[in-house]
Amino acid sequence: MNCGSNDHKLHRRLFLEGAFTGAASLMSFSGLFTLPAFAAEAKKQEKHCILLWLCGAPSQFETWDPKPGRPTSGPFRAIPTKTPGVQISELMPQCAQITDKLAIIRSMKTNQREHFQAIDLMTRGDNPRPGFTRPTLGAVLGQALGQVDTAIPSFSLLDPSPEGNEFKAFKAGDWAGWMGSQFSPIRTGGEFKIEDIARAPGLSDADHEEREALRKFLSRRYENRRKSTAAGGYNAAFDRVKGLMSCAHLYDVDRLPQKDRERYGPGQFGIHALQARHLVENGAPFVMVANGMPWDGHVFNHEIHQMLVPEVDRVVYNLITDLEQRGLLEKTLVIIMGEFGRTPFLNNARGRDHYPDAWSLALAGCGIRGGMVHGATDENGVEVKENVVDQRRLFATFYTALGLDPHARYELPLGFPAFYRVEGKAEPVREVLLADPPKPATPAVPTVPAFTPRPTAKPVAKPVRSAKPAPAGRSK
Amino acid sequence: MADPTSTTTTAKPVVKFVKRHMLPTGAQSVDLHPDGVLAYVACQDGVYELNLTSGARRLLYPHESYASGIAVLPQGGTLVSAGYDGALQWFDCAAGKVARSVKAHDFWSWQMALSPDGKQVASVTGQYLAGGPKYEPAPEREPSVKLFDAATGALRHALPHQPPVQSVAFSPDSRFVAAAGMMGDVRVWDAQNGQQLSAFNTPAFTSWGIIKNHHYIGGIYALAFTPSCEELLLTGMGPMADPMAGNGRQLWQRWSWRGTPKKVDETKPGSSGEGLMEALAVHPSGEWFVMSGRLRGGNWNTAFFRLSDGNIFHSLNTDSRVTRACFSPDGKRLLLSGMKGQPGFNKEGRIPDWGHVDLYEIG
Repeated sequence: MNCGSNDHKLHRRLFLEGAFTGAASLMSFSGLFTLPAFAAEAKKQEKHCILLWLCGAPSQFETWDPKPGRPTSGPFRAIPTKTPGVQISELMPQCAQITDKLAIIRSMKTNQREHFQAIDLMTRGDNPRPGFTRPTLGAVLGQALGQVDTAIPSFSLLDPSPEGNEFKAFKAGDWAGWMGSQFSPIRTGGEFKIEDIARAPGLSDADHEEREALRKFLSRRYENRRKSTAAGGYNAAFDRVKGLMSCAHLYDVDRLPQKDRERYGPGQFGIHALQARHLVENGAPFVMVANGMPWDGHVFNHEIHQMLVPEVDRVVYNLITDLEQRGLLEKTLVIIMGEFGRTPFLNNARGRDHYPDAWSLALAGCGIRGGMVHGATDENGVEVKENVVDQRRLFATFYTALGLDPHARYELPLGFPAFYRVEGKAEPVREVLLADPPKPATPAVPTVPAFTPRPTAKPVAKPVRSAKPAPAGRSK
Repeated sequence: MADPTSTTTTAKPVVKFVKRHMLPTGAQSVDLHPDGVLAYVACQDGVYELNLTSGARRLLYPHESYASGIAVLPQGGTLVSAGYDGALQWFDCAAGKVARSVKAHDFWSWQMALSPDGKQVASVTGQYLAGGPKYEPAPEREPSVKLFDAATGALRHALPHQPPVQSVAFSPDSRFVAAAGMMGDVRVWDAQNGQQLSAFNTPAFTSWGIIKNHHYIGGIYALAFTPSCEELLLTGMGPMADPMAGNGRQLWQRWSWRGTPKKVDETKPGSSGEGLMEALAVHPSGEWFVMSGRLRGGNWNTAFFRLSDGNIFHSLNTDSRVTRACFSPDGKRLLLSGMKGQPGFNKEGRIPDWGHVDLYEIG
C-alpha cells in the first residue's frame, strides 16, 4: 500500500533490492562498553537527542519557509519572528517567539521522492548500499551517547500508531543495521506506557534475580557452544527487557503532571513529545517521536496543516523552553524534520505532493547556533538558491553538534568494506553550529568506533570503492 | 482546453457545455450578475469580474488570503466577498472600490451565503485544532456562524457550532439558515431571530484515518435546502480509511430537519464514484439538483439528480476540481467554478491560467 499519489509508482522493489539483502545487517557487534576509555568518555558527555519525526513530510510553505504574496504561498500568511528579518508561517506563533534558539535550514535538497526510500534516507543519513544496512541515527546515537550504568533504553521510538503506511513498512525493518539488534529502538506508544512488563505477583527480588541468572547461564552456554548469533540477540533482548522493567514508569505518561500534559497535548504527538522530555531528563540518549504518517498532504493539505502545524508549534515551543529551564537544552539536540518537503504548486486535489528538491527543517539545542536561517530558496520556493544541504551534510551536522566525529569509521569484520558515520567526508553545516561545539568524544584523528571487541583499529583488509571519499552532496 | 465529456442518460433536461473561461488562479466560488452577462469569481488571488460573452476579465480587489465566497446583491451594484483572511468585503461596482471591510472571523471564512431576499449574509468559520487524543476537534473559540446585515454590514447574529464549520446556506424563503461542518454536525436556525431550530449529526462524511492520518478530515462541504424548505441536501465524501487518498464515495444525503431529523435519501448504491464533492445547487425549477467536486475514481465529477427519486439523469467530467455551482435565476444557465492543478512556470516565466468558470446551457 502507498499513499495513493502518482509519486509512489516506483520504488519499493528497487529499495528492497538494496536494503534487505545484507549479510552485515544481520550481524551483531557487541562489546562497546567493554572499552573503559570510550565508556568513560561517553558517560561524561551526557548528551541527548530528540527527533520530532514529522512523517509524511510537512509543507515548508506552511511552516519554515513561507512565500507571502507569491503564487506558491498557499492561504496562510507569514508572521515576523524574534529573529529580525525572518518570517515563518502564521500557524507557528509560539515558535516565532523562540527563533533565537532555532536554526532553520531552508536549503535541504535530497534525492528520494518516495516515502519509504526517503524515510530510510533521512533516518540513516545515506542511500542504501546493497548488501549492507546502515544503522539509523537513533542506533548510532544510542550507542555513542548511551550511558553504561543506566537501564534506560538507548533508543526509544515513541509512536502511538501501529500503522503508518510506508512508515509502517519501515518500522518493520532493521533499525540498527550492522550495529546489531541491541541498538534497535524500544518502541512504545498508544497507551502511553509499556504493557505487560510488571514482574509477576509473588515473585521476590531474589527469585527474579536467580531466575535471570539461570536463564543467562544457560543461554550463554548455548550461544557459545552453538556459536549462535540468534541466542546472542535473545540475550540482548532479555537484558533490554530487564532494563525496561526497572524504568517502565518513565514510559507512563499518567505519572506526568497534568499541567504538562495540557501544555503538550491533547494530541498523541504532543503527549509523546512530553514523554521524550521526561525520558531525556532521566538520561535517555535518543528519543524519536512520531505519530504514524500524518503529514502526507496530497489531499486536504491546508485543512490538515491548519491542525498539525499548530500542534508542532506548541510542542516545539514547550519542549525547547522546558529543556532550557531544566538546563538540558545545551546538552540536547532537538531535530524537527520529515523525510522531504511538499511541492510549490497545488495539485487538483487541493494538496501538495512530494518534493525533495527544496525543503526545510529546524534544529535547536546542543551545539546549535540559534537565531539563524541557513540557506534560501528562490522567491517561489522552487529551487534552493544558496547553501544546499543534503542528507550527508545534515547528518555530519548532527554528529558534530553532539561532539561526535562525523567521519569516524565503523570497524567491520575483515573483508567488509569500510563505512563511516558520514560517507564522503561530507562537511557539517558550520554556519548552524556554535563556534566552539563540543569536543568530539572520539579521538581527533578519525578512527574506528569500537563496535567490535577488538581493541585496536586495524585497517580493513580490502577497502572498497565506497570507502573512498565522495564529493559532499552526492550519495551512492 | 478539451471539451468536458458528458453522458446524457435521459432526454430532458439537456445540459450543454458552452465555454470554459480561464482565470489566473484557482476559482473558489462564483456568482452571476442579474444582467446575466457578468459573473464575479472569488479566486485565490482576489475577486474577478468576468464577462461571460467576451471572456474579458479583470481583478477587482484582493483579500489578504484566498477569496473563498462571492455574492452579488440583488440590484447588482454591490458585491460581497469572503476570504480565508476572515474578512467580508463589500465592493461598490460603480465606484470601483471596496466600500466596507468587516473582520468577521479570527480564522478563514470557509464559505458564505447571501439570503435569497438579499438582506443577510452568512459566513462560517472554525479552525480544526486538536481537542483530544484522537484529534477530536477542539470546541469553538469564537462563534462559528455569523449573520450580517447585507446593507450595512452590521452583525445580526453570532451562532455557536462545532468547528470547523465548512458550509452554509439559506432556505429559498430566507427564513432559515443552516450550517454544517467537518464532524457531520448540522444546525438550523431561524435566520430572523437566531433561534436554533434543529441540530443533528451524520457521520457519513467524516473520516478518521487509521492507516496513516490519525485525525479527522472531510465533512459536509456544501448544503442546500429543498424548495419546500423542509429538507436539506448535504454533500461531501464518504469515509476513507486513509484520508490522504481522497477516495471516499461521492456522496449526498437528504435529511428532513424538523422535529426528529431523519435521513430520507442518499446517493444510490452503485451510482457514484470516488472524490470529494464540494458544490451543490438546486435548480430553480425545484425538480433537480447538481452535485460536483473532484473525481478520484469513476467517470464523473458532476452529476444531476432528480429530487423526486434521487436518480442521476445526467453526468459529466469537467476534468478539474469544481468548487461551486450556480444557476441563473431563470434556470437556463449553470456556472461551475473550479480549478485544475496549479501548473509551474512556463518558458515565459509565468504560471498559465489554472482557474476556471464553466458555462452550461440548460435546455
